[in-house]
Parts: sequence; structure tokens; C-alpha cells
Amino acid sequence: MAGTTTIEVLLVTLRVAAGATALVALPAIALGHALARRAFPGRSVVETLVALPLVLPPTAIGYLLLELFARHGPLGSETLGFDPGVLFSLRGAILASAVVSFPLAARTARVAFEGVEPRLEHMGRSLGLSRAATFARITLPLARRGLLAALLLGFSRALGEFGATVIVAGNIPGRTQTLALAIFSDIQLSDTRHALELVGLCVVLAFATVFAVERLLRRDAR
Amino acid sequence: MSRAFSLRVELPLGAFALAVELDSSARRLGIFGPSGAGKTTLLEAVAGWRAVRAGRIEVAGSVLYDAARGFALAPERRGLGYVPQEGLLFPHLDVRANLTAGLARAWRRDGDPRALFGRVVEVLELGALLTRRPATLSGGERQRVALARALCSGPEALLLDEPLASLDLALRRRILPYLVRVGEEFDLPMLYVAHDPIEVAVLCDEVVRLEHGRVVAQGPPADVFASVWRAERLEGAPENVLRGVVRENRGDVARVALTDEVALEVSAAELAPGTRVVLGIPADEILVATRRPEGLSARNVLAAVLVALDASRPGVVARARLEPDGPSLDVLLSRASTESLGLAPGARLFLVLKSNSVRVLSALAPSA
Repeated sequence: MAGTTTIEVLLVTLRVAAGATALVALPAIALGHALARRAFPGRSVVETLVALPLVLPPTAIGYLLLELFARHGPLGSETLGFDPGVLFSLRGAILASAVVSFPLAARTARVAFEGVEPRLEHMGRSLGLSRAATFARITLPLARRGLLAALLLGFSRALGEFGATVIVAGNIPGRTQTLALAIFSDIQLSDTRHALELVGLCVVLAFATVFAVERLLRRDAR
Repeated sequence: MSRAFSLRVELPLGAFALAVELDSSARRLGIFGPSGAGKTTLLEAVAGWRAVRAGRIEVAGSVLYDAARGFALAPERRGLGYVPQEGLLFPHLDVRANLTAGLARAWRRDGDPRALFGRVVEVLELGALLTRRPATLSGGERQRVALARALCSGPEALLLDEPLASLDLALRRRILPYLVRVGEEFDLPMLYVAHDPIEVAVLCDEVVRLEHGRVVAQGPPADVFASVWRAERLEGAPENVLRGVVRENRGDVARVALTDEVALEVSAAELAPGTRVVLGIPADEILVATRRPEGLSARNVLAAVLVALDASRPGVVARARLEPDGPSLDVLLSRASTESLGLAPGARLFLVLKSNSVRVLSALAPSA
């Protein structure tokens, strides 16, 4: 009985983390590149805004999202004319995790792009490659490891998300209950055995992703 | 042939400003000067890697930049092959992929990039390196690949920024002939930045001296270097650089024709007839006689006419033209011997030169 629940929890967790990573990937890479390579007005404001979710309590972020998607909120069903289906759903859990993961992914992506020698990009252009082709054939492959690390970091942050998720998506077993939420429930219900099992699982997952990130970043620095 | 290079480039540069004004019809133009003079900056401005504050840049008949019209061609549309000092090979690609990175432009330009690729690989002898990664190449190999990559992109002109500077002297002398061969085989206008006067003399038709971001001298390499040598009181002697073709080889001495009627004997066992060579002769290794000397071991006794005498330094530089109608050589003499020989412009002379005073700077075997 507990076994199936554990697998269910694991599946929901992976689905949430993968969904959040997919949602975050393109915007984080785009923003990371812009911050690394372009000077634009308001750059430092953007940088600060991007860092905000790192320091704000996740519950505060969750509450903001809740207000945003509440029935009468700016993105609520009344305003939009349809139900975006975010609150108390898998979609909500993914969105909440994505918002919290985004700064970590974007900042790591920025570092990855800053590690690419700009003169190599100039060289690509001088060989007749357009800006886009230079990005695709020179910049992206050279930043590849750092970008992969950025996505993995985002993924691992999403794995452990609790505060924002519980407020936006609730704690619904089989639907929005991720590992972090299930551990909380188990402790509330004094099911310490099951809680410990889940904690063990968390440690294994966290170890694997952080280990992979470290390896990627280390070889990248070579 | 119109002007190969017409450059007006102004941009702020650290402590001073780059303010270059330069017109040249030379196909191969050398840029020479102390480090920090703005040579690399000038090349980067021409390539479009750097913002220019004002000016106009025209290379091989194409306007690349014109501040007055607010016109600036993107770097990828300038049609230039850039070879930087550090090579800048793409570290994630093997040699073949590096070489083909710019092949699309070559294809747009004249249809047969595969033939171009084959020719470049052959001329620069890269066949054995194609599957290697840049990290596994030696310094000399890396620079040959960088040069090949620029050529494979089908450029209208080459920008070479001290491509040999990172190599030791022996290696430089080994790579130099490749550059000479590229200059002759591909016949592209070339801006060549160098520190080493000999490289410039070997490769370029004209040289510009840049100091503190400005052009301070422009002319044939021998003239510019002689004036620099005087102005800076450099050690040693100016080097004469001559071009010629090996006519015959008698074991240890090769006979090199400088013109149809003027030839030099050079100690060089390995040079086959037909080889085109660039020779270097230090100005202080040439003896001067006013009558034809006899019974000498020196292999070369060359008739010449004294064209000019420059005594503005402790040593006297005599410029003598080899007869009939040969190239000119600078000879370093003492003031005392100039006076005791009674040398004056117009005097008939004989230049005496040992065959092993002549250095072979570059040798290009006849193509098969």
C-alpha cells in the first residue's frame, strides 16, 4: 500500500519538476544570454527582479500567484473568460515550481554564456555566419555544459519546492502531492516510517542532480 | 586596379585615439609598429568587431563602413578572412569542421567550395590533421588551420594579425613560406600586421608604420625599415630582402637568379631548380670594392652603382643598385672606409658577398 503511494508521489514530483524545467528552459536561456551579452536600459532592474524569487519566502510567491489566478484576479477565470486551470492542479504545481526555479536557471545560464569567449563569436560572424547561425553553431555548443547545469539546477530546485506549491496547488495526494508535500503530510500524521522512506528518496534524487551539476560545471571550467 | 585599401578610422583607444588615414594600392600591405600602437584595433575595426566613431573603410573596392552615410556592413557581410594572433579556432569542432564553418559563404560566392577546400588543404598541407581537435594541435598547426579557415570562407581580402607571433623563431621561418604561397596562390588583397620587419619585407609590397594610433610612415618595406632603423638607433644592421628563382644547384651552392641578368650564389644544398626563394642579406655582411677584386673565396662579386649615401647615423648606409637593372641593396659601412674609398652617388662598385651570408627566408618548391 505504502509502496504504490511512494511511486505515485515520486511520479507527481518528477512530472512537476520536469514540467517546470521545460517551462523555464527557453526564457531562462534567453534572459541569461541577454544579461551576459547585451547592454540595455534597465538591465540592473531586470537583474534584481530576476533574483527576487531567490530571496522572497516561497509562501509569499505562492500567495502572489494565488491572487493572480484567483477568480477575480488579473489572470482569473472571470477576467480571462475561461478557467486557466491553475489553482489546485498539477498545472499550478508546475507553475509555482517554475517561478521559483527560474532565477536559479537564468543566473546559471548567464554564467554559462559569460564563459564563452566573445572573440569566437566575432570570428563566426567574420566567416559569414549570421547572428543566429553564430549563436546556434558557436555560442550554444560552447555554453552547452553550463546551460545543462542551469536546467538541472532549476530541476533540482523544483524537486524540493514546498511553500509556493502548497499555496497554489494544495496538497492533493496523486495530483499535486510532491515528495516535499508528502513528507509534511506524513509528519502531520506521525507516519514517520513513510516519511523517512520519502526523505531517503529525496536525498538520492538531490544527490544525483547536484552531483551531475557539479560534474558539468567542473569540466566546463577546464 | 583601384585602391586596395582606403582606411579612415577614428576611435577612442585607452590613453589615446586611433586616427588612421591610409590609402594604398598595394595588394599586400604590411602594418608595422610597436605594441600598443593600435594595429590589432585597426584590424578589428576593419572586420567590424569594434565600433568606429568616425571614418570610412574601403577594402578591395567595397565600402564596408561610412560614417557620413551612417552605413556599416555587418561583420558577416564584409567578406573578410580574419586570422588573429591566437588563432581563435572553435574548440568544440575538429579541424575539418573548423575549415568548413565558413564554407556557406564561399558557396554563395563562387559555386565550388569543395574545390576551394581541397586546394586550401593541399596548399597548407592539412590533410593529415582534418580529424584532430584544436586542443591537440601544435602552435604552428593551429595557425595554419586558422589561415585555412579564413581562406575556405571565400574572402575578398585577408586580415592577418601577427599570425606568427605566438610561434618561436624557427617555427616562424617554417610557416612563413606557407604565407608566401597563400599570397601567390590565392592572390587576395592582404592587410598584414607584424612585429617582425623580415616577415613584412617577405610578404608585403608596401608597409605602413603605426605609432600611437597614427600612420607615421608609408612606403616600400626597405625604405620604411631603413628609416626606422635610423630613427630608433636599432642594434645590428638592416636586412636586405630579395626575391629570386633557383636556376641550378651544384651540391652545396645554389645559383639564384634575381633578374634575367643578375644572380647570387647561396649556400643551400636542398634547393631544387625552379624553387622561388626570398633571401635575406644583413647589410653589414656585404663588402664594397671600387675595382673588381680577384682571387677571393667569396662566391659573389656583383657589379653595382651607388645610388645614395646616408650618413645620419654613426655607420653609413650606402644604397647600391645591382647592375644591370637589378634590385638595390643597403650596405653598412664605416665613415672611415666611405671616406678612404671616396664614395659618392653615381660611383661604380663591386659588392662582395659570401654565399653563406645569404639566408633563405622562404622557399617555395615549383608546383607539380
